[in-house]
Amino acid sequence: MFRKMTFGQYTYKNSIIHKLDPRIKIISVAALSSAAFLMNSYYKFTIFSLFILLVIMLSKTNFSALIRNLRPFFFIFLFILIMYIFFSRNELDKGLLTIWKFILFIIIASILTFTTTITNMVTAIEKLLRPLKIININSKTIALLIALTIRFVPALFLYADRIKDARLARLGNLKKPKHIKLLFLPLIERVFKSASNLSDAMLSRNYREKRITYFNIIKLKYYDYASFIILLIFIFLILIIA
Amino acid sequence: MIEIKNLDFKYEDELILKNINLKMGNSAYTAIIGANGSGKTTLVKHLNALLLPTKGFVTIDSIDSRKNQFDVRKKVGFVFQNPEDQLIHSIVEEDIAFGLENLGLKTEDMKIKVKKIMEDLGITYLAKKNVNMISAGQKQLVALAGVLVMKPQYIIFDEPATTLDNKNRDNIMKIITRLNKKNKLGIILVTNVLDDTKYAENVVVLNKGKIIFNGEKSKLNKKILERAGLDV
Repeated sequence: MFRKMTFGQYTYKNSIIHKLDPRIKIISVAALSSAAFLMNSYYKFTIFSLFILLVIMLSKTNFSALIRNLRPFFFIFLFILIMYIFFSRNELDKGLLTIWKFILFIIIASILTFTTTITNMVTAIEKLLRPLKIININSKTIALLIALTIRFVPALFLYADRIKDARLARLGNLKKPKHIKLLFLPLIERVFKSASNLSDAMLSRNYREKRITYFNIIKLKYYDYASFIILLIFIFLILIIA
Repeated sequence: MIEIKNLDFKYEDELILKNINLKMGNSAYTAIIGANGSGKTTLVKHLNALLLPTKGFVTIDSIDSRKNQFDVRKKVGFVFQNPEDQLIHSIVEEDIAFGLENLGLKTEDMKIKVKKIMEDLGITYLAKKNVNMISAGQKQLVALAGVLVMKPQYIIFDEPATTLDNKNRDNIMKIITRLNKKNKLGIILVTNVLDDTKYAENVVVLNKGKIIFNGEKSKLNKKILERAGLDV
């Protein structure tokens, strides 16, 4: 199951969404997620979902990869649904909208990670958080922390899968809650080891908190402004007019 | 020249390295062998200033590792055992450029150097690939490219073939030898497999944090290897 997780895995494709400035994409994700949070009717959700579908098509993202990203959250969705069925049956439609919201959040975030390289994401976050310098917060450190988290999410699932297989191969059982620690303790140990190795690797390549030059220079172009304006108009229409 | 003098290294009251004295020439090929836990990785981490001596000193071309870690790391590259943990960025070409960004090179220069190193190692086709989607052998080559692009004078290879199959193992060993013979880079190869040392001019055998042999490979005998707990 873990092996099929694709969250955080950039795939190179020649699409307009791939070409957009990462700052615009990050702000758009925040704007779209906030809009999804504020919506409250099936009608609005349908229009919003169609818009997201259009973005998916424009980004040439693989549908099956998106579905795979949703699969691990299935139990959370089921839990929400069961809670509504048992404790608030008359508001079941609210529960369905909450699940729909979650699905949209995950899809929106996945589109960002599928279409933006970590370097671009780091550069964008670094630039967006630059005002924090006034309160003595280094934006590069925060950006790198986020980027490394995204980079290592697939690796984390891979480690978990290997540990699970090793347990099962020795006739272990991971079905009962008490057995979960057999999976998590070695996983945590592996994560700390990886973190230590990674910090050594970064230092050995002369990592410095202050970066002077960039491999990928990000520059806002006319289509960045245009697509952002279109997005704002869409959000305005769906929240206010619709 | 790399020079280690009277090096002791203590970790949590335990003496891991004991009175290490070693000299490695500019374009020498030195293999450091020893059983697991003999202190090989701890020793080579001192050469890249990842660890600093508790006693004694390490100098790289007269630069003291305690005084100038940045310049030491510019001179000595480090290829780690597990490529999985040393690739920082998700895209191959961006990961290769990580060190160059830290050195403050101009974007255009970075692009040229990254392209050139990928051509040299025959991995241009991987440029836009996600590092999570490539094989272990390819990851090791990407890790090597990320080090080579910084133009070090010495490179440490810490058990570089552990995670590789025979074909990739041979390939990486051939590349290491080529870097030494053709590019005149100083090579420090850490291994616990005697066969990996076949191209090395000099062999250092470590046992329980002490050097028990330092010399030409031809002078290495069964007794020393057995003492170091290595398969003969």
